[in-house]
Amino acid sequence: MDGAHDMGGMHGFGPVAVPGGELPYHERWEPRIFALHLLTGFEGLGAGPGGRQTREEMDPAGYLAASYYERWTWSAEQRLLRKGTIAPGEVEAMMARLAAGEAAPEHEDPAMSRRVVERLQRRAPMDPPPADARFAAGDRVRVRRMRPQGHTRCPRYVRGATGTVERVHGADRLPDLTTYGEPARPEPVYSVAFASPDLWGPSDEPPFTVLLDLWDSYLEPT
Amino acid sequence: MSAGHHHERPASEAELRARALEALLVERGLVSTDAIDAVVSYYEQDVGPQNGARAVARAWLDEAYRGRLLERPGDALAELGFGGMEGHNMTVVANTPAVHNVIVCTLCSCYPWPVLGLPPSWYKSEAYRARVVAEPRAVLREFGLELAADVDVRVWDSSAEVRYLVLPMRPPGTGELAEEQLAARVTRDCMIGTAVP
Repeated sequence: MDGAHDMGGMHGFGPVAVPGGELPYHERWEPRIFALHLLTGFEGLGAGPGGRQTREEMDPAGYLAASYYERWTWSAEQRLLRKGTIAPGEVEAMMARLAAGEAAPEHEDPAMSRRVVERLQRRAPMDPPPADARFAAGDRVRVRRMRPQGHTRCPRYVRGATGTVERVHGADRLPDLTTYGEPARPEPVYSVAFASPDLWGPSDEPPFTVLLDLWDSYLEPT
Repeated sequence: MSAGHHHERPASEAELRARALEALLVERGLVSTDAIDAVVSYYEQDVGPQNGARAVARAWLDEAYRGRLLERPGDALAELGFGGMEGHNMTVVANTPAVHNVIVCTLCSCYPWPVLGLPPSWYKSEAYRARVVAEPRAVLREFGLELAADVDVRVWDSSAEVRYLVLPMRPPGTGELAEEQLAARVTRDCMIGTAVP
């Protein structure tokens, strides 16, 4: 989906190093909504595409206007609504109760605490590279032109560009399909190196290299 | 601190909405207050850049470990007890006199949680995601890092499930330092690539 989240190369956002930027968050509700979002997934309380894919569905103006953790709040709410875990209007009703000074409920479940930490520590590497991967290190490849309606991991700024396969990372299913529950076979994922002039043309900076991890489906031979 | 405690100023709309979601799920027993506390505490207390720094210091002292860290990073980090969500497929990229590495996620905020914890706000900012793949030296300069013109800057955009950690060069004059002292020199930004130790 070619939304506002696909930011590589955009102008106008100003400096990176700004006061407060060193901290992961600034208010206590921010790590809590992060945690709640993870729990929504782990405990099966949400439905539809995952959190990241859901955030990409925000309208572009809304996405850019929202803070990072406001986006997470939005995707958590959408996923809970889609599953039917909460009903339309319930969030607003609870907001009114809290704004009126009502104490938030508390509930302890040590088993859930243990479960969530175990889940954070669980290891799940992708499959090793297939022996018959279409491309090998050193091959020149071109990224396909595309304008996908749904989730993709192929950013706009590399489409149509030619690069060199650096290595084969492993095999993974194409998120463009799995996000929507569509069947997908594991396919090679490559690290592809692009020379900066091939992405951006002439620049004030000396040439540099940008490397992306791209699924086989995104690539074609040159 | 759990939600619902006394606030000194009125909560913003964003805060109120986030707290309402938690309250709804907690009220129904679907999510527990202590499970949310456990996740927050895990990334504030147990997991953070101190993990990555330990691996870097070990690699500086132990050539065999350095080899494993570069060749089989998942196993090498597991030796130190590090691994898990957002670190399933680690790649460690080593800086050299000729190469400087920087990591980013232009589409999202992908970041190696098991070794660096949760990312700083600037890493998730529109400005960083937009600019570091197009003008990395200008971005590094904002962090006070000026690289020689002949250094190949390699920017790794974490577009798939691979997560990256930069292995910085060991600074000169540290030959006497033990692993813990070395690890203290390795900041988070050194392992993202916006600083050097």
